[in-house]
This record gives sequence, C-alpha cells and structure tokens, in this order.
Amino acid sequence: MIEVRGLSLTLGNFRIETLDLTLQEGVFNILLGPTGSGKTLILESIIGLRKFQSGKIIVAGKEIQNLPPEKRGISYLPQDLALFPHLTVKENLLYGLQAQGKNMEDHEDYLGHLIATLKIGHLLTRYPQGLSGGEKQRVALGRALAPSPRLFLLDEPLAALDPGLKSEIQQLLVTLQQSLQFTALHVTHDLEEAYLLGERINVLIEGRLEQQGRREEVFLRPQTVKVARFFGLRNLFPGKVFPEAREEKWVSVSFWGGKINLPADHVSKRLTAGEDVVIYLRPEEVMIVREGKPLKESLRQNIFPGEVIRILDRGTHHWVLFRPSGRDVLLEIHLPNYVFRNLSIREGQEIRVAMRGESFWVIPSLYGPGL
Amino acid sequence: MSFSKTAVYAAFLLFLFYVVLIFSLLTFLEGGSFLTVLLAPNTLFSIRLSLTAATIATLLAVAVGLPAAYALSRLNFPAKKLVDTFLELPMIMSPIALGAALLIFFNTPFGAILQEKGIFFVFEFPGIVLAQFATIAGLATRLMKTALDEISPRYEGVARSLGSNAWGAFWKVTFPLAIRGLVSAMILCWAKAVGEFGATVTLAGTMAFKTETMPIAIFMSLASADIPQAVILILILAGIGLSALYAVRFVGRRSPVL
Repeated sequence: MIEVRGLSLTLGNFRIETLDLTLQEGVFNILLGPTGSGKTLILESIIGLRKFQSGKIIVAGKEIQNLPPEKRGISYLPQDLALFPHLTVKENLLYGLQAQGKNMEDHEDYLGHLIATLKIGHLLTRYPQGLSGGEKQRVALGRALAPSPRLFLLDEPLAALDPGLKSEIQQLLVTLQQSLQFTALHVTHDLEEAYLLGERINVLIEGRLEQQGRREEVFLRPQTVKVARFFGLRNLFPGKVFPEAREEKWVSVSFWGGKINLPADHVSKRLTAGEDVVIYLRPEEVMIVREGKPLKESLRQNIFPGEVIRILDRGTHHWVLFRPSGRDVLLEIHLPNYVFRNLSIREGQEIRVAMRGESFWVIPSLYGPGL
Repeated sequence: MSFSKTAVYAAFLLFLFYVVLIFSLLTFLEGGSFLTVLLAPNTLFSIRLSLTAATIATLLAVAVGLPAAYALSRLNFPAKKLVDTFLELPMIMSPIALGAALLIFFNTPFGAILQEKGIFFVFEFPGIVLAQFATIAGLATRLMKTALDEISPRYEGVARSLGSNAWGAFWKVTFPLAIRGLVSAMILCWAKAVGEFGATVTLAGTMAFKTETMPIAIFMSLASADIPQAVILILILAGIGLSALYAVRFVGRRSPVL
C-alpha cells in the first residue's frame, strides 16, 4: 500500500490542504483533474522534488517523506520525457541501475524482457534526438522501469501526442503493466485515457481530492457536482428529496416539477428529507417514446412530454436536445445511429421521453437549490 | 529606408568603426619592428604574465562562479535577489574604482592582517590575479547561470529519481548538457581578464618585469611616447581577444551531439 497522508503545501495563491491519497499496489492508479488542479505538485511532492509544509508519504509501511529522491525508489516520467540527450539509448536505459549501484548481471533477464516488450533492441546505440516520437516514449518508459521502481509516476507523458501514437502508447502501457505488475500513479486530464488505463481513479479539483474509487464507480457515479462538471456531464438538474419519501429501497426526488422514484443506492450518500440535490441523467439512457407502441413497465413511471430543439450528427451517434414542456432546461439525449434512423424525428417535433429510475444519479448540492 | 536595411546598415557601421580603428594602428607600424617588439623580453614577459594571471583568475572565477550560478539558476534562498544584484556590481563599476576598493581593503586592519599572514597582494602577482578575478567573477557567474538556465531542471529531477544524488545528477547530466555554454562563458571571461587594466594597475601597479601585464605595457609605452611598441602590443592583444571570440562562436556553432 502506498499512501499520502495529510499533505499540505502552498505555491503562491494555490493551496493543497491535508490531502489523503491511497494507491493500490500492482495497478495503474490515476490522478485525474483539470489543468491547474495541483496534480503535478502532488507528484513532485511524492517523488521528493518539492518541499511541502506537512504530511506523510508511506511506502510499504515506511515513511519516506524525509528521504532524498534517490533513496525513495520512485521512478518519474515527465511530460517532455527528459531523455538524456548526451547519452545513447542503452546508456539512458542503464542510468538508473548504474546510479543505484545494482549488479547488471542480476537484472539481465528483466532488462531483456523489458527491451523486448518495448521493442527497442535495435535502438540501443542511437541517441534520443534521432528517434521518432513513439521510440522516445518507449525508451523513456524503459529507462523509468529498468531499476524496478516501487512506484512509477507518469506526469501526462501522452498529453502532446497525436491520437494514433497516443493510442499505441496507451496499449503499450496496459501491456507493460499486465506483464510487469508495477504500481503506477498516472497523472492526466484526459478522461478517455484515465478510463482506459486506470483501475483506480482519484479526481483532483482545485487542490482537493473530490472522489476516489474504482474506475466504473467514479465515472458512472460522480460524488460531487464539481466532478460531474469536470466530466463534462450536461444533464444536471436541480431537485429536492421529498420530505415523506425515504424508504429503504427507494428515494423520491422532485424533478422537473414532478416526482421520480429511484433506487436508494443511486444517491451518492444518505440524503435527508428536504435536502437540495443535483440530479444527473445519463444521456444514453433516455428513451424516446414511440407513440402507439407498448412501453415497458419500468419506463412508464417517468415520462415527460416536450420538444426536439436540435439534432446534431456526431458521426458515431446522434445528439438530440430536448426541452420538456413548461421547463426552461435542455436534456441531452444520445441515440445510436440505427435507433435515430428508426425514430425519424426532426427539430421542432413534439415527443415524449421516458427514463428508468436506475438511469438517475443523485448528487448532494453544496450550493442550495439550483446548480 | 526600410526598417531591415536601417538595421543592417547600423550593423555594418559598427563593424567599419572597429575595422577603421584597427587599420589606423597599422599606419604607425615601422617595417621589421613587429618581430623585434614581439620578441623583446618585456613584451614576452607581459604576454606570459597576462595569460598566466588571466588563466588562474578564470579558473578561480569558474570554481566559485559555477556553484553560485547553479544556486541562482535552480535554488531559492534568502536574499537571492540581493546576491544577484551584487554580482553585477563589477559590470557597472569602473575598474579603477574596483581596484581602488581592493587597495583600500588591504589597508584596513583586516586586509593588513590578511596580507601579513597570508598572501601579499598589493603590487604583487597575486594582486593581478585578484584584480582580474574581481572584474570577471560576476560576469562568469552571470554567463554560466544563463548556460544552466537553458537546461531543463527536469533532467536533474529524472536523474535524482533514478538514483543519482544531487552531485551525481549535476555532473552526469546537467554539466555535460551545459558544457558548451559553460566553456563559452569561460573563454569570454578569460579574454576579458587578459585585457583588464583599471583594477590591475590600481592594485598591482606598473612595475616592469613584475606586474607589467599587456594592457599595462601598452599604457607604459604610450606614457613614454613609444607609439610603435604600443601599436604592436595593441595588435597582439586584439589578436588574442578576437581569437577568443572566434573560439566562443566555434564552440557555440558546432552542431550539438544533442
């Protein structure tokens, strides 16, 4: 287990206060957050390149915050890779083992496996400036992993790559992790990358850890409005928990002037009666009712009439912007292309939409009624 | 006239200004006198003295200036801006004033004790080295800081994470990457030390075959109205300086391994 406990640091007007972060060993942990949220500061603190006011960093039960970076056993891959330009690929790869005084013969098999997995055997005598972008990424990964670090920190190394190369390196990272089982903390602001690589996601916003958990949990069930907004979720609507309704399995919440019932485990924490909430509705789970056709029982409870305001062709699917009758809000609906074609709807058309209670997710509102 | 042409003409005007100055020296050359003056014992002495003192002063300036440059480039410490400002003092202060300050310092009780117990500076060879050091140390630090600023601190960060301590990361990574800038800084400071006059003459005086560096020899030739000798010494000094400047450009221009 790798833990950061009570980390506090200040840089100018930016503050991180008593941050706790737990990393699971042997998996890719993601520190996800927008630019300027303090991700790199945390990374630099863990590695020992930045002093912080208070806090502990614990690796395998030992506090390492007072050790210099070279004694921590933590490798680091910055965004610009920082391959040593005056050393050959081989010298770059062996830098860590030599600096740590490790016996090369003991690591021959591991190095051979690493070089083969990274496919960089033919590059060993070359200098970094003669390598392609992908080759540089592979060598930098090899250099960081060669000394078998206890923790591997990656500071947005894929941020500047074009989509093709990014996808290739992401797959390589997955392969490497499965093969070598190292513990990684990968910093990124890219949601897709976080979902692809991360088993555990830690969402950092404005220096505060807003949510930690398994990938599916975090992405499908944001715990705070800030996280939901960072994820770019559009279907966020104000609501209120009904005073009388707080049953064991169901919670009733006001929504668009009506009432919806949803499973009790679809709220981010125990809500109290009368509490203001924010309701999130997943855009791919909204159904457009086909008039004259029977509707499943689970969909009959939450039906809302309204108008199609706009239809956007997103290539792989269609976005439909729907305005419920009598409400000045817009609901985003994502429809697969084949569904959209079968529905043959147009802008300005009056339609009805239906949602299952399970499609809602309720987040406590810290800001009172509204968003 | 277009903006670009004006700028280019200004550059050529400056170039011509210095070329005319050099060529005007040649009009005072007398046939066959060049070698005679060059091989004269006092000329050879002043060349040897200048080069030796400048080399020692430059090595000392680099020895102190390189860690200072690193601190200013990479670290935060109390009164950093004050230290940084003082390093520029020799650049804006008249060399004579600098030499006078050194001379006055050695006349204070502390300075006198230093001379009695340690090395004698006033009117001695160490005085030349000290005067040159005082003139170039700030410049050396400033130029080496610029060279270090160009190397991303992330290289060191990565080297530290891979197991190098701070010294190891500097010598194995930062230093080799900054070497061209550092060598250029060293050459420029050495050339400046070779041509240093004001502080040297004030602290070390003008004693023939003792403290007579090349600039002092030029001064003494002019004082005794020996213009041909002064001209030849100026040409030698200019030759050394231009060679150093060319070397700097050569070091900087070579396509990096990097």
